[in-house]
Amino acid sequence: MNNIIEVSQLNKHYKDTHAVKDVNFEVKQGEIFGFLGPNGAGKSTTINMICTMLAPSSGSIDINGFNVTKQKNKVRESIGIIFQENTLDEKLTAGENLMLHCKFYKVPKEKREARIQEVLEIVDLVDNKSKKVETFSGGMKRRLEIARGLLHYPKVLFLDEPTVGLDPQTRAHIWEYILRLKRKEGITMFLTTHYLDEAEISDRIAIMDHGEIITINSPAQLKQSLGGDIIELSTKDNDQALQEINENISEADVTIQDDTIQMKVANSDDFISDFIKQLDVPITRLNIRKPTLNDVFLAFTGRTIQHEEN
Amino acid sequence: MEGIIGIWQRDVKKFFRDRARLFGSFTMPILFLLIFGGGMSGTMENLIGGGMEGETDFQYVQFVFPGIVAMTLLMTSVFSSLSIIEDKDFGYMKEILVSPVSRVNIAIGKMLGASTVAFLQGIMMFLLIPFLGISYDITSLLQVLPFMFLLACALSSVGLLIASFLKSTQGFQLIVQLLVMPMVFLSGALFPVSNMPSWMDIIVKINPVTYGVDVMKKVMIDVESLTPAVREAMGLNLSIFGRSITVFEEVLFMLGFTTILVLLATLSFRRSNA
Ligand SMILES: Nc1ncnc2c1ncn2[C@@H]1O[C@H](COP(=O)(O)OP(=O)(O)O)[C@@H](O)[C@H]1O
Ligand SMILES: [Mg+2]
Repeated sequence: MNNIIEVSQLNKHYKDTHAVKDVNFEVKQGEIFGFLGPNGAGKSTTINMICTMLAPSSGSIDINGFNVTKQKNKVRESIGIIFQENTLDEKLTAGENLMLHCKFYKVPKEKREARIQEVLEIVDLVDNKSKKVETFSGGMKRRLEIARGLLHYPKVLFLDEPTVGLDPQTRAHIWEYILRLKRKEGITMFLTTHYLDEAEISDRIAIMDHGEIITINSPAQLKQSLGGDIIELSTKDNDQALQEINENISEADVTIQDDTIQMKVANSDDFISDFIKQLDVPITRLNIRKPTLNDVFLAFTGRTIQHEEN
Repeated sequence: MEGIIGIWQRDVKKFFRDRARLFGSFTMPILFLLIFGGGMSGTMENLIGGGMEGETDFQYVQFVFPGIVAMTLLMTSVFSSLSIIEDKDFGYMKEILVSPVSRVNIAIGKMLGASTVAFLQGIMMFLLIPFLGISYDITSLLQVLPFMFLLACALSSVGLLIASFLKSTQGFQLIVQLLVMPMVFLSGALFPVSNMPSWMDIIVKINPVTYGVDVMKKVMIDVESLTPAVREAMGLNLSIFGRSITVFEEVLFMLGFTTILVLLATLSFRRSNA
């Protein structure tokens, strides 16, 4: 498959922050590519450089065969972007916002009304076309921005934290729309998020921390790379339990987060029955699960991503 | 081209929807009209026309009305450019800047939006004519329109350039306040500026309001029918290096001024990543 985005040796220095460090990656035509990392990791900075909005300090970016620094206009025509912050004109109606976008992107006059109708249908906002955006809820605004990003049939759609600040139900809805898009249009999508569950819909994920890409792989392979299962337990006396585990059970990889002891084991079925017999401290809670992206993040950075949230 | 139209339409449309701003920008010019046109007109007539012998038909209101219209253009043009900073604040500028619309068209669209709004407000000032005890014939009022629009363009490009550099509305308000009053007082809008000290005269001569007001007066006031003394009193002999300046030259100045500032704003948009 062809690469639609190619980024090599990308760097961004702000006055006193090295926000993006030697970043390299490719995005393939038609895939959903996810950037996962805590707040301040450098996701928005990277996306803004790819979208021509921010000049890189060094490195090169190609989109759809066009160079981002030398062929800005060609790049701009090829992409649609939903920025992290709202960029709608709230004093105008949904329809007016979309019509302006058609003009900026030279959508042929005779096709405009049909396209507007089409994208409004994708995000279920047809009935709100002539309402002012300031009367919309946060979720509706997001959906309208997604619709607007699609109006000119971009080759790549960028979504920078598309669900940040929305309630869980609305977040789920937004992802439904995004997946619907992927199925219907086969459009390439580049998204960033600091919600782990949301990164799961990506075909491939780049994990970013402190401006660096730590690893790139499919969610399944990332989780598989950790190997085995995760056992979480709480006990009457965690310190005592920890000591017993360290003395008696050599094959477990043990960490403690808040009041939960976590163990990574190759095969929980064989392990668990022996383990319970060996432990003297009474167990109050026990949970066996497959690794999540949070475990992946923890394994690579030594921190959980949630701890970064305020 | 469509980009320019889109950006322009948006600002004009929003102007008509924002009633508060529509009326708010009238208060200052009307206040000036009350003070200078009503209360102070006698004093001003004595001050300006005082040196003349015998009975004169010098009417200060007639002198000052085009000036007040120009002032309305100045205020509205510059304050309409505030929309650029608001667009940065509310994020819409990103939608514009990430689009393939060329940077020069963005600058032109924004400039024309502010100019049109100012132009419409300037025309609305004509509604006050019947209450001022002066009269103009319709043709001269129609003839002055293109010059008013051109002046609005020159002034909007000042606002455009300032706004293109700034991130906060507060900074903009401050700069504008420091700029607007001198531009009004050193233009001949409210009183003749024929005998200024030379450093002030330089400001007068690079101030686009000077040329706008001068053209407007030449068109709106029947200069030929005035005695040379009155003409002198009204400051209608604007000259550079001792030579009287023509309407054509004044138009050229305003066109050139607008072009240069729009191009500078374009450069600023090219650099910026709002
Ligand atoms: N305009 C800026 N000026 C200076 N530092 C910035 C600017 N924008 C972002 N940063 C810094 O760069 C780092 C990366 O920020 P950002 O790309 O927004 O992260 P993310 O989108 O992953 O949350 C942060 O440390 C942030 O403080
Ligand atoms: Mg971000």
